[in-house]
Amino acid sequence: MASEERGRGRLLHNMPGLLQASLNPWLVRVRNNPERLAFVLHRVTGVIILAYLVAHIFVTSATVDEALWESVMGALSGPLSRVGEWIVAGAVIFHGLNGIRLILVEFLGLGVGRPERPKPPYVPPSLRSGQRKGLYLVFALSLAGWALAGVIMFAG
Amino acid sequence: MRASTLQLLQYLSAMALVVLLGFHIIERVPGLSPLTPESYEESLSYEVVRRAYKEYWWVLALLLAAALFHGLNGLRGILLEWRPAAHRVINLVFVAAFIALLAYGLRTIALHLAG
Amino acid sequence: MAEKEWGRLPEPPREVVLRVKRYDPERGRTWWQEYRVPTYRGMTVLDALLWVKENADPSLSMRYSCRMGVCGSCGVVVNGVPRLACQTQIAAVASRENPVVTVEPLHNHPVVRDLVTDFTAFFEKHRRIIPHIVRRDMREVEEAEYEFLMTPDEHLSIYQYSLCIMCGLCYSACPVAASDPEYLGPQALAQAYRFIVDVRDEGYDRRIAIVDTEHGCHRCHFAATCSAVCPKDVDPAAAIQRLRRIVFLRRLGLWRKRKVAPLAGPLEKPLRRIRAEYPRHNLVEGADPERQAREPVDIDFREEWLRE
Repeated sequence: MASEERGRGRLLHNMPGLLQASLNPWLVRVRNNPERLAFVLHRVTGVIILAYLVAHIFVTSATVDEALWESVMGALSGPLSRVGEWIVAGAVIFHGLNGIRLILVEFLGLGVGRPERPKPPYVPPSLRSGQRKGLYLVFALSLAGWALAGVIMFAG
Repeated sequence: MRASTLQLLQYLSAMALVVLLGFHIIERVPGLSPLTPESYEESLSYEVVRRAYKEYWWVLALLLAAALFHGLNGLRGILLEWRPAAHRVINLVFVAAFIALLAYGLRTIALHLAG
Repeated sequence: MAEKEWGRLPEPPREVVLRVKRYDPERGRTWWQEYRVPTYRGMTVLDALLWVKENADPSLSMRYSCRMGVCGSCGVVVNGVPRLACQTQIAAVASRENPVVTVEPLHNHPVVRDLVTDFTAFFEKHRRIIPHIVRRDMREVEEAEYEFLMTPDEHLSIYQYSLCIMCGLCYSACPVAASDPEYLGPQALAQAYRFIVDVRDEGYDRRIAIVDTEHGCHRCHFAATCSAVCPKDVDPAAAIQRLRRIVFLRRLGLWRKRKVAPLAGPLEKPLRRIRAEYPRHNLVEGADPERQAREPVDIDFREEWLRE
């Protein structure tokens, strides 16, 4: 724990840190906040996709030679890499759908409600307006899309 | 560069990715793909992949640039939250990684177009 | 913050166990301490902490002032959620099955001692976004003769954000502030939005430049926990998203302030002075009719009010 000198005592730095904040959606155990879960999933899927992208750039460079490509594809045709591919597919589906929602909310400022005079039960507009319905839609479509991707990849 | 310029590019590349990556994934789905593979397995055969490079090389080039920028800029944001003091190093690594990976990917596309 | 059992809380358990995270700055030691606290109907977490200080352990430190959710001093993390201790009923956070209430100092703020957190950096961030009306001609504010005109709709567009009491709960809940000490935080960004859209304000370009940095509004990822924990229903998450929209549009040259409130200026018609009539019946206790007749009072009225 880092601490800093101030007067007689030291201040205790009380921050959960990047890993806790970006991996634990229940760091703050508050109800009515699925946006936090979406934030964690968006960040985790983003890192998964970036790792895949970098690997993908190197793997596809093997396409310049037919024999090399066949050997690389042979090495990557096992069930383990197939499951890994399916996880990346799910990550892309969620990141893409939630990304559309985030563009609407963060870029265009849509779906966060209008400022109002607070009244009981004091649920802020942004937690009950369009973006929340969109978020539930994102979760539902992501699960459906992930299942569909599984059908295409494992049965197709 | 102002922070809002990079963030604007982040959203613009995201919008481009929805279209480009959608096309890139559909290339692999039998029945929908313009490259007409017979099955999901078949979609990665050498002929099909080579046709993708020959006929849709511009999609791949745009996709490469947009995806690399979007992904690396996202990572840059995470790293800036992690070590705000090291912003100079983080920005340098971001630019270097973007240029290096973009050049490597474009080289693959260029080799296909040449031969 | 919305309480699930709003308005109909059960009886609290007879006795709760208060688990307090303590910190001793002199020895740099952190530890958990448990106190058994007898409860009563209507007891808040702040009441329980004060009971401990008065009856069990005078060395326990916390900060509080108004005890009614107005001053924003007593923010603590109760059972993992940042809350105002004075507004949190024991009955809402403890039950007969689970009578343990954990109390920690607010996260993301440095801890001075026990539950007391240092708000210097937090207030400094609030100060950085220029939290007051800025005019091209600052004499309009500093040597104010007349008020600025504002319609009820224009007032409603900033009213919710002006309820902020700077309790620091949103900053404590924010996942970005959890790792980035330079992030401006939901409170300061929401206040920046509140002043940028205020029709009386003309300092929007200065504030946009302050907010449009790598540790400004672009670090927000809309986890919306700030809005979920806000005790005053300020909704910083929505404010930050609309602030970013303004920042982006301004960057593209597509946003300009639609209207800047004019000064009210002198009245077109002079007020009419009316001799006030005292009520002759239902006199207020202690009122002296003779003295009222001796010392009459004049009131200035607008013509149109008199007609009504």
